[in-house]
Amino acid sequence: MARGDCRGRPHSAARLKLMSWRSRLTNVFDTERLDRDLEDEQLFHVEARAEALVERGVPPEEAIRQARRRFGNLLKLRESSHETKLHPRLECVLQDARFGLRMLRKNPMVTAAAVLSLALTIGAFTAAFSLIDALFLRPFPVADPDSLVYLSSSGPDEGTFRGGPSNISFSLPMLDRLREASRAEIELFGIGYGGPYQNAVFDGGRGKEEVVRPQWISGAGFGILGIRPALGRLLTGVDDTLGGDHAAVLSHAYWMRRFGGNPAVIGQKLTLSVRGVDSGRFQIVGVAPKGFSGIEPGQPTDLWFPLPSRNPAQWEARPGSVFFHIRGRLKKGVTTEQARNALQVAFIKYRHEWVSRILRPGTPLQRVDEFVNARLELHPGSEVPANLRTKFERPFWILALIAGLVLLLACSNVANLLVARAAAREREMALRISIGAGRGRLIQQMLIESGLLACAGCVLGLAFAAATAPAIVRLLAPSDFPAYLDLHVDWRVLGFVALIGLLTTLLFGLAPAFRASAVSPIRALQAGGDRHSVRIGILRPLLAAQVSFCFAVLFIAGLLLLSFFKLTTLDLGFSKDRVVICTLSAANPRDEKTPESVMRLLERTRRLPGIRAASLSGRGLAVTSYLTPQLPIRIPGREERSGQSGYMLVSPGFFETMQIGLMAGREFVPADAERRATVSVIVNHAFASRYFADEDPLGKKFLRIDPCGWAPQQIVAVARDARYNTVRDAASPMAFSPYLRAAGATLEVRAAGDPSPLLSTLKDNIEHIDPSIRVTSVSLQSTRIDDSLLQERLLALLAGFFAVVAVVLAAMGLYGVLNYSVAQRTKEIGIRIALGAHQLVVARLVVADMLVLTVIGVAIGIAGGLALARYVATFLFEVRPSDFFSVALPLACLLAASGLAAIPAAVRAVRVDPIVALRHE
Amino acid sequence: MARQDSLQGSLPLLVLKILARQGPLHGYGLTAQIECMSEEVLRVEEGSLYPALHRMEEERWIAAAWVTTPNKRRACLYEITEDGRKQLDQEEARWRAVTAAVGHILQHA
Repeated sequence: MARGDCRGRPHSAARLKLMSWRSRLTNVFDTERLDRDLEDEQLFHVEARAEALVERGVPPEEAIRQARRRFGNLLKLRESSHETKLHPRLECVLQDARFGLRMLRKNPMVTAAAVLSLALTIGAFTAAFSLIDALFLRPFPVADPDSLVYLSSSGPDEGTFRGGPSNISFSLPMLDRLREASRAEIELFGIGYGGPYQNAVFDGGRGKEEVVRPQWISGAGFGILGIRPALGRLLTGVDDTLGGDHAAVLSHAYWMRRFGGNPAVIGQKLTLSVRGVDSGRFQIVGVAPKGFSGIEPGQPTDLWFPLPSRNPAQWEARPGSVFFHIRGRLKKGVTTEQARNALQVAFIKYRHEWVSRILRPGTPLQRVDEFVNARLELHPGSEVPANLRTKFERPFWILALIAGLVLLLACSNVANLLVARAAAREREMALRISIGAGRGRLIQQMLIESGLLACAGCVLGLAFAAATAPAIVRLLAPSDFPAYLDLHVDWRVLGFVALIGLLTTLLFGLAPAFRASAVSPIRALQAGGDRHSVRIGILRPLLAAQVSFCFAVLFIAGLLLLSFFKLTTLDLGFSKDRVVICTLSAANPRDEKTPESVMRLLERTRRLPGIRAASLSGRGLAVTSYLTPQLPIRIPGREERSGQSGYMLVSPGFFETMQIGLMAGREFVPADAERRATVSVIVNHAFASRYFADEDPLGKKFLRIDPCGWAPQQIVAVARDARYNTVRDAASPMAFSPYLRAAGATLEVRAAGDPSPLLSTLKDNIEHIDPSIRVTSVSLQSTRIDDSLLQERLLALLAGFFAVVAVVLAAMGLYGVLNYSVAQRTKEIGIRIALGAHQLVVARLVVADMLVLTVIGVAIGIAGGLALARYVATFLFEVRPSDFFSVALPLACLLAASGLAAIPAAVRAVRVDPIVALRHE
Repeated sequence: MARQDSLQGSLPLLVLKILARQGPLHGYGLTAQIECMSEEVLRVEEGSLYPALHRMEEERWIAAAWVTTPNKRRACLYEITEDGRKQLDQEEARWRAVTAAVGHILQHA
């Protein structure tokens, strides 16, 4: 007996188990080797026995024959051993997969169409998901998120005395007061919402102004959240005290992006300017941990500063300024209710004090009442305040909705394709059944093929999503600041794609699988391979479904597109073209000479070449991040007419520069700006109709609230209404006052021709004229307005894209089905033509059937679309889902596409040659 | 082949015992041993030997290893494992009990 050099080292039981499992797995993928081994073993045995027989005197050929015969059925034995030595199920699946790949390769056109439409739609859906995940779903890396809460109050707030049922903005003194009163129950901190981008100058940046996204947070905030620094230290309570350089903390992503992860960033200093006003010097003390970029949804942060450092001058002047949220962590064992009660007491007490100390006289009593009886509420920290959610989260969910619909459309399309192709494989299925394959096995085979398609679609879709999601983020950003979002393909996204792949496989794979396996072998084998034996029956609901999905997408996209169109073509009340906006910042805002120098600057700017008109205003028009203050006014002798009005500060020439028509009266003149007892003001049409409806407002006087009491105002002109803040807001009463605070003015310049060259030259020119005045930003008025419509633009763009995809898919599906139907009924059509049927009759025959389905699909689509339109209602502008155009436009689109898709089929039907058709059995 | 199974289901037992006593052997070697030691009374059907060997391999009672013989042929040697030795003890005890019981009945029935 030949013995090899087997070293017999005993293996442990567990190791053997693993080896056995692994070897069985490997054998699945290497059946060739397995079969070869089995064959070799048998061969060796046969030869050894033959040798033994030869030794006994049997002739060699006889010996071999005997040895073989003793063995029996070599093949059968090998089969049974084969089964023992691997995972038979897995081998089954692998076989099916290999076979499926071959079948898919045989039909490259169908496969390519299916994979492409799946890839496109899965990619779009995944992109939408990854954006939503990065912005809203990803959990914040804070410790114990369940004990975090945020505060809200009802009624008016201390700042602008506006308010609604749920305000989340508080002031600094209020925060201090609440903190003191509730130390035992809850740890509070304030956090300013990440706001508009601000300018910072890093000491090492050579004086260049960079745009950053700041957030202000109480020193105690990081500690309460349980965040640990990645480098250096984070803010602490000590940093809240004013004076000297403040501390600043970088976010990890910003640190990597701007400083390349350089640890030497600790200790670097920077100067921040908020809306053109220097807001202090800061020193970087640390970097936040990776993955943390603030706790406001959808607003990643670059830098954190201590809360009190935000415009300290403002705190002293207006301690009631509100602009941040209060969050906190309940102490152990304290319930939300207990904490709320403790806070409520302090809250009301402070409000009473505020009323007696700071409230302006003349405020309606009812509001004061609401104010001091307001109720404080605590909400779980994981909830997103409703107004933020609507503003930031909604658009993405809408996109996801549309993407989902288009994905369903693609699935039904692919199902169509597969069902039609299943017909061609009836013989193959029949054969398999007749040699013993169960129906389950056939279904498994078909599902695996669908799975392969879905797999390819997922992989391509993932690549597509990885490319487009950053592009969408870029589209979201205002033109002067690229948006950064921590988008990366992590296991959540991969898991999502895998899930979608699985679902779509089932969605479009089950129907064809069941259909294909429900084959009667005898019938199929007898019929001689009729390629079009699948009845059109199963394709009907699929087609209707396609039409309805397509219509729903077109409907919603149409609504968004119409809204956007209306927004951009709206009459703003002023002329936005050719106007350049510069924000100015004076070096010494408190200097008495500054207002003079600013006016001088205006005069000289007007004389620069290429400039038709120029003026100054407080913030300019269409600044969405700033709401014009509403100040109470009173009409002497007509107290019942008192109310509020917005106020804007403008220089002479404003109305000419912005081309706001004056309905009566005159523009401001420099004399108006001199301090006088009665201030000359210009009011808008809304103001005039509200307060002076039945009389001529020119020359009339009224009173306005002022830090010192009631200041008399006199109307010198009435201007046309315009959109002052956002494009959407209709005009409300607005008064224009000629005084300018020099702290931060906006210069509007109307160019005589193309304004683009001014963008680069204006800054230098102005700083040349007066070096003490700095230009902090230059942009076009039209760009500013476009930026305010960013979300609407994005929605319209993407919805339009999806609409196009949906129409193409639906048309393709319709074309496929019609084509198939014609091919199936070739004989019938041939007979009809032979009997003398008119061409039109034949065409109608083919198309009529589909028409009914299309109508049904549209009906379902309208119902679905109207139901879904609720979710986009907040983004619509002067467009209602029930408008005529809202329904007519998508309908026309769909009918046109259907018509185009139907024409080739109808043409083919008409061209059928009866002789050829009848002969072709 | 319609011959009766002369081994009466004792093939795994015999294989384990032989491997335990004589070290690694290949399939033909086991066949030869069994037939030789039983003076040709017991005849191993190849049709049942290899399936049995492969099953025992999956049960981890024996481990297989491919070697090349001096004649440049590939042979698969089987070796008994720890689990196999335990199984051998069990099987042997069972066999002895059964045969003793059968013998007893035959003698005294």
